[in-house]
Amino acid sequence: MTRAPEVTQRLRVDPVACEGIGLCAQVADRVIELDRWGYPKLPGALVPDEAKAAKRAVRACPRRALWLEEVGGDRP
Amino acid sequence: MMSPTLTFPTLPDGGRAVGAPARAGERLLVADVELSRSGPADPVRPTAAETFAEHVARLGPRPAGTPELVDVVQRSGLVGHGGAHVPAALKWRAAAAGRGPLTVVANAAESEPVAAKDGTLLRQRPHLVLDGLLLTAQALGADRAVVWLHGDDDGGRRALRVALGERRWTDTGPQIEIIDGPVHYLAGEASAIARGVQGGVAMPTVRRRSDGTRAPRTLVHNVETLARVALAARGHAPTTTRLLSVLGGRRAVVEVERATTFAELLTGLGWSARPQAVLLGGYGGLWAPWHRLAELPIDESALRAEGLTLGAGVVIPLAEDVCGLRVTADLVRYLASMSARQCGPCVFGLPALADSVNALVEGRGAVERLLDDAALVEGRGACHHPDGATRLVASAVATFEADVAAHAAGRPCGRGAGPALPGVDA
Repeated sequence: MTRAPEVTQRLRVDPVACEGIGLCAQVADRVIELDRWGYPKLPGALVPDEAKAAKRAVRACPRRALWLEEVGGDRP
Repeated sequence: MMSPTLTFPTLPDGGRAVGAPARAGERLLVADVELSRSGPADPVRPTAAETFAEHVARLGPRPAGTPELVDVVQRSGLVGHGGAHVPAALKWRAAAAGRGPLTVVANAAESEPVAAKDGTLLRQRPHLVLDGLLLTAQALGADRAVVWLHGDDDGGRRALRVALGERRWTDTGPQIEIIDGPVHYLAGEASAIARGVQGGVAMPTVRRRSDGTRAPRTLVHNVETLARVALAARGHAPTTTRLLSVLGGRRAVVEVERATTFAELLTGLGWSARPQAVLLGGYGGLWAPWHRLAELPIDESALRAEGLTLGAGVVIPLAEDVCGLRVTADLVRYLASMSARQCGPCVFGLPALADSVNALVEGRGAVERLLDDAALVEGRGACHHPDGATRLVASAVATFEADVAAHAAGRPCGRGAGPALPGVDA
């Protein structure tokens, strides 16, 4: 058995669920920036040391609008 | 200032049209038609629908929809005709992969105000569309087969009811349901339809992968795509034609050979003066200058090679004396008003984008601001509605480069506003 290769992840947001509350940017300011209306602008593929902050953002969202997805998934 | 009005002198003679294919049997439409400038696809002069008896006499009975049909569809190279040109076989295989109950939808909700080719096809050859829907549903073992209409399409609904009545005793497979969608620019958006046919509100949604494999599946195909499935299943080679909705003084829905150039198309439709540019694909489409388009064929692959696309086949020529930037400002304002108002970047971003285009027209804006505003909405909605607006703006900046520079410098181009576009308040 070989170890599974490191999976690259990225953050996704459901823009319908997102209400621009902005907690995500507070707990993960290195990863998430807010636009001029307070909605998160997400980075592309996450480098490994951003993954932790991204997970914090996912957990922090009161609308559960954020999730992590493996890059190369079936949805663009 | 009056603009030259596009008239269609070739159309009333009953079918002889621009770039008409040599063999009438290879056409999708019974006849090219003229329509009023806006509204559903009801022709100015009524055109009789092909009856079920005529349809069967012409093409023979509908073959069985077997699982092998997906290979036939793949070999035929069929792509979706709703605008995105995704290979149909890809969508079939993706739909076949899940395990939840499957609904196949014939999407007849053309929400682009100028688009009318699907409504025209549905009115003229409803049985071809219904055959394609049932073949697809049977081939994939679907539980439901639905025709999805734009909510105000009374003529389409009537044509469908008559057609379904004619074939009531011969159809096998799931009983075809007619569902009225909302009356809205996004009524034909695939994720909105997927939700609508499950009894939800027909608004665009984002699907998360965690939805699971037992989630209901929906395969949405444009009605023209399904008509082409019905022909491919009978062993017909793909037609060499394309359906177009062209805006002029009225609208025309024409079927032309794909080799027809834009110059031949507009000349054939009676456009005597050269337009300065053409809006391709509709309000969420893109501008291209006439000098670039005139000798290009309307063929999608030729257009793609030039970085262009006709989307679902909407052609909106812009007269020489109309300000393309002004028209773009009106269109972005229209698109902003047609947001489903669900996603923040679209709700706030599109009005901001519309304001920046308008500011530029009035000599108070800058191109940089415009492009910043466009970048802020691009790709950030649940559906591609905001992306249509950014594409429109980007293509306007490139196409009307000289006018943009003049307006930005506070020296408006001096061209007029032109006649109001369908659905858009001047």
